[in-house]
Amino acid sequence: MTKPFRLAEGGNRIDRSKRIVFSFDGRDVTGFAGDTVASAVLASGQKLFGRSFKYHRPRGVVGLGSEEMNALIGVGADAQHEPNLRATQVEVFQGLVAVSQNRWPSLHYDIGATNSLLSRFLPAGFYYKTFKWPRAFWKHVYEPLIRRTAGLGKAATGPDPDSYEHMHVHVDVLVIGGGLAGLVAAEAAALAGAKVLLCDENAELGGIADLTAGMINGACVADWLMPLMARLTDMPSVQLLKRTTVVGHFHHNYVMAHERVADHDPALLAAGAPRQRVWKIRAKHVILATGALERPLAFANNDRPNIMLACAVRGLLTRYAVTPGMNGVVFTNNDDAYLTAFALKKAGVNVQVVDSRARLDGVLVKRAQAEGIVVSLSSVISAVEGTSSVSAVKIASYRKGQGRVISERKVLCDFIAMSGGWNPVLHIWAHNGGKIKFDEALQSFRPDTHRDAITAVGAANGTMSVKDTIAEAQTAGEAAAKAVLKKAKPVKSAKLEVKEPKRGALEALWFAPATGQANEGGKHFIDFQNDVTVADLELAQREGYESVEHTKRYTTFGMATDQGKTSNLNGLGILAEATGKTIPEIGTTTFRPPYTPYSFGAIAGALTKELFLPVRRTSVFEWHTDKGAVWEPVGQWRRAYTYPNPGEDKTQSIAREVLAVRNSVGLLDASTLGKIEIKGPDASVFLDRVYTNTMSTLKVGKCRYGLMLNELGFVMDDGVVARLGDDHFLMHTTSGGADRIAAWLEEWLQTEWTDYKVFITPVTEQWAQFALAGPKAREILAKLEPDFDLDTEAFPHMSFKLGKLGGFPVRVYRISFSGELSYEIATPAGLGLSLWKTLIDAGADSGIAPYGTEALHILRAEKGYIVVGDETDGTTTAEDVGLGGMVSKKKADFIGKRSLEQPELTRRGRKQLVGLLTEEPNDVLPDGAHAVAAVHDKPPMKTIGHITSSYLSPTLGRSIAMALIENGRARMGESISFSLEGGKVVKAQIVDHVFYDKDGGRIHA
Amino acid sequence: MLEPQHESALAHVGEASGTYISIREIPTRGMIDLRGQTADRKFMSLAKNVLGIDLPKLTRSSHSFGEVKALWLSPDQWLILCAYSKAATLQAELSNTLKNIHALAVDVSDMRSVIRLEGEGAGEVLMKGGSLDFTDGAIAPGYVRRMRFAEMAALVHIVEPNIIDLYVFRSYAQYAFDFLQKAARNGSQIGMK
Repeated sequence: MTKPFRLAEGGNRIDRSKRIVFSFDGRDVTGFAGDTVASAVLASGQKLFGRSFKYHRPRGVVGLGSEEMNALIGVGADAQHEPNLRATQVEVFQGLVAVSQNRWPSLHYDIGATNSLLSRFLPAGFYYKTFKWPRAFWKHVYEPLIRRTAGLGKAATGPDPDSYEHMHVHVDVLVIGGGLAGLVAAEAAALAGAKVLLCDENAELGGIADLTAGMINGACVADWLMPLMARLTDMPSVQLLKRTTVVGHFHHNYVMAHERVADHDPALLAAGAPRQRVWKIRAKHVILATGALERPLAFANNDRPNIMLACAVRGLLTRYAVTPGMNGVVFTNNDDAYLTAFALKKAGVNVQVVDSRARLDGVLVKRAQAEGIVVSLSSVISAVEGTSSVSAVKIASYRKGQGRVISERKVLCDFIAMSGGWNPVLHIWAHNGGKIKFDEALQSFRPDTHRDAITAVGAANGTMSVKDTIAEAQTAGEAAAKAVLKKAKPVKSAKLEVKEPKRGALEALWFAPATGQANEGGKHFIDFQNDVTVADLELAQREGYESVEHTKRYTTFGMATDQGKTSNLNGLGILAEATGKTIPEIGTTTFRPPYTPYSFGAIAGALTKELFLPVRRTSVFEWHTDKGAVWEPVGQWRRAYTYPNPGEDKTQSIAREVLAVRNSVGLLDASTLGKIEIKGPDASVFLDRVYTNTMSTLKVGKCRYGLMLNELGFVMDDGVVARLGDDHFLMHTTSGGADRIAAWLEEWLQTEWTDYKVFITPVTEQWAQFALAGPKAREILAKLEPDFDLDTEAFPHMSFKLGKLGGFPVRVYRISFSGELSYEIATPAGLGLSLWKTLIDAGADSGIAPYGTEALHILRAEKGYIVVGDETDGTTTAEDVGLGGMVSKKKADFIGKRSLEQPELTRRGRKQLVGLLTEEPNDVLPDGAHAVAAVHDKPPMKTIGHITSSYLSPTLGRSIAMALIENGRARMGESISFSLEGGKVVKAQIVDHVFYDKDGGRIHA
Repeated sequence: MLEPQHESALAHVGEASGTYISIREIPTRGMIDLRGQTADRKFMSLAKNVLGIDLPKLTRSSHSFGEVKALWLSPDQWLILCAYSKAATLQAELSNTLKNIHALAVDVSDMRSVIRLEGEGAGEVLMKGGSLDFTDGAIAPGYVRRMRFAEMAALVHIVEPNIIDLYVFRSYAQYAFDFLQKAARNGSQIGMK
């Protein structure tokens, strides 16, 4: 490249003393500190940045910042790759690796570009139309083809190694956007006493002040802002966040923002900064100062590389001293683009203006003519020559509304700066349902009303003049502070003398007629990112898509990552012209969060890997770990599933643990069991209402098993209750039910039985609790110097003792879930590990085995004890699981009682809990397997019930199972069949579900 | 006689490293969960007799007297803090004094772990895990609140400016510590004003 794309002077963002080398598509590009990938690559002479979504047309930079829809790039390698970033926002640093997207095999030679030739066959709604064709075509032809050729970037290739975090803040006033309006409003709000947070998506504050015409007190707008920014930085009540995009606005001014903390500087990342941070902001008042975005113009082949928005060209020149070319055409329907012409001329670039308007009265236009810039009035660009860049344009005469080209002339040029006017950025306004109204002068929408406390100022509000913006922002900032503070300070506004050029009127231009018959000369792109053209929108209209929301889905206009930033109004203009309606009659589509895409890493924040979900640990966790426990998640708890010895597999260790309990003694960490203290004059009445059985008759010092139903009459939880005193109980719940049941009890007390004097205090975590179970349990416990009598007369089954084991304060409950003699010993959690080790040592001679949850389950299944959640599934009654005897007939009421009389629950033939013994003792039926009425070759087969628990019982030396079977208790002795996967049929006999020690002698030993 | 060894949930962890505030466990603290009605004058006065301080009535506040502190949890619940070794006695004394009154005092000294955050930015670190605004002037020494923090239930108590005690249920101690250590990692400080 011989042309000096980087000018010798200028560039308010770049530091020419710091050269930066980075890679774009594998090629080294040299830029300066402060460059973006867009500016540096353009400075190097490359115009091409990517291929378009559908047609794979060559595309270059169009925009100035976050509105960029073409130059989407991927940044970072492998697991750190992030796709779909806007090249205009990515700041360069030494070693940055960036790639273009949606091209194969390379950017300059792209096979998919043939899509462009096939574009006749890819009309609006082509994706939906493919659904109508033969079904097999979809799966085998369209889907693979579309997947390969259409799309944006590629995902990262591995787990993200970087860290992210969230931050929650509350502020009086949140200012979104740090341009002129936002900065002025922030200062006014802060001076009035408000706590202010200002978020801006760019690396530098100031918005487009540096591209704005006008003088304030003799200084240009950007210079006038410098001391204001310094003041804000110093204010203790103002927090400024750069590189922070507000991505969504939700109910009650809850706002989500995404800060790119370290993306621009790997040194920060290395120093420990999170790569990105999500801000969750609760603001009492929001000031929306998001500015406006320039509209492209719809002319033939308006998507060619080096056709940019006028402000983008001005920005490249002013900020980075980069020019897209040396011979440009500015195509406009408004006065603002003339500023770009002046900037180009000043930079020594040859420029002329094509203006669609017939009558011009603005001072900028007059200045252009005075400066000798050629201005073609009543003209449009009717054709663009060049494919991967611009080589010439055709300029045609035009009258408003004209549909075809009458005369045209060719003008050589190498770039085009276009401006169709400015749209206030209303995305965030609209996220939570803000209403908008059409403004004829702007030919755009602007904010109307909003249910939240939110005020739009400056260009976001359609206020385009500097003077009016400052006044509006000051007023809004102060008003916001007044609205949220009890006592706001008065703000004295400084005297300002603002000079700015008076603008002439804009004239809507939604479509520039093209060379050739019936505008066949080329595509007029409306939505560049989704490859939607004027013809697509018109076709959708002809096909009957009257609603603009339907047109959006059908054509994909305004969708995806871009959310219609540049395309929205142009599309509506086309639809208006095609239907003969006005734009307000057409309406608009909905802008949705996020404003720009942000990474999943940021959304996850710190909650990844070991922080993804809490793992709850008992006091013996480390011991279990050291002993090689295999873990089972139980809710958020980790419980030891089994403890395999070296050389043992899990089946062997489980069997060993079961037999130790049956024949000697075992020790289980049962600390996770829910424990709730319940006390008050009405405690016993209360418990009678929450359990099916009676607790008020329980004697102090005794324990009773209780069953809880929900209001529907279904079993919800179970556990042992101990009566600590006349009005004082301890309730045990299932491990998973601890929090839920405590909340359930509170709910009944607080909403239904408010007259009950009952306090409930959950104490689950206060206690480490261990089950010492087996024939030798008493012998072991005796070694621990109990200060209470262990004799079975003095301490029978279903009673408890409060006392000491040596120096350990304990509560010992003689209860059993294994069918053996068993003590559950509770001690304060801090002493848990010490007591556990003491018990293990005391039992060493007897061969004590720590046992896990699987042995626990086998032991209780052998004994026929149910587990809520295994034998019950939320539609199971006490009667169903054989516990009908626990449902009091005497009590006036208890939760669920009424429901038990529903016909469905009293119906004969409901599924009932039974035991099963397979014909083959070694066949272990799979959990959940369905018994069938009759076995057929293939499904469907009528099922008559299912397995709820199934184990190989080490005690009985054969398989056992429990099942809920239709009318099961009446079918004792019957043989039923299970049709399993692979055609295997297992037959089993229905038996009592208590397999072991039916008379309970061992428990009472 | 068998001598129990007390071990706190984070005994094996030590102080957090590489962080911009100090994060460490306070291994023992006496805690009593006290239930009773604020409106019950007799309860309030008997509790005062035992504790030497009025139970706080103001939402999210606390009172302290020497080693004993009373933290407001709800209109009918307080967390009484004292030396770990004194908790059992104090609980017994409370229960005994309140035996004819609708009240419940439970020794829960082992139920929660206490993690102390100390240093400039302690509040900021907590704001990375929960929606409570620690820059709010109302959150001053003595302030108490239960909240959702990271993925847990937690209780915060502002002890002094830039000294905050975070109480989590014992089983969550490791998770809380890991989260805090990550949130307070050097280099990740925001510098909230």
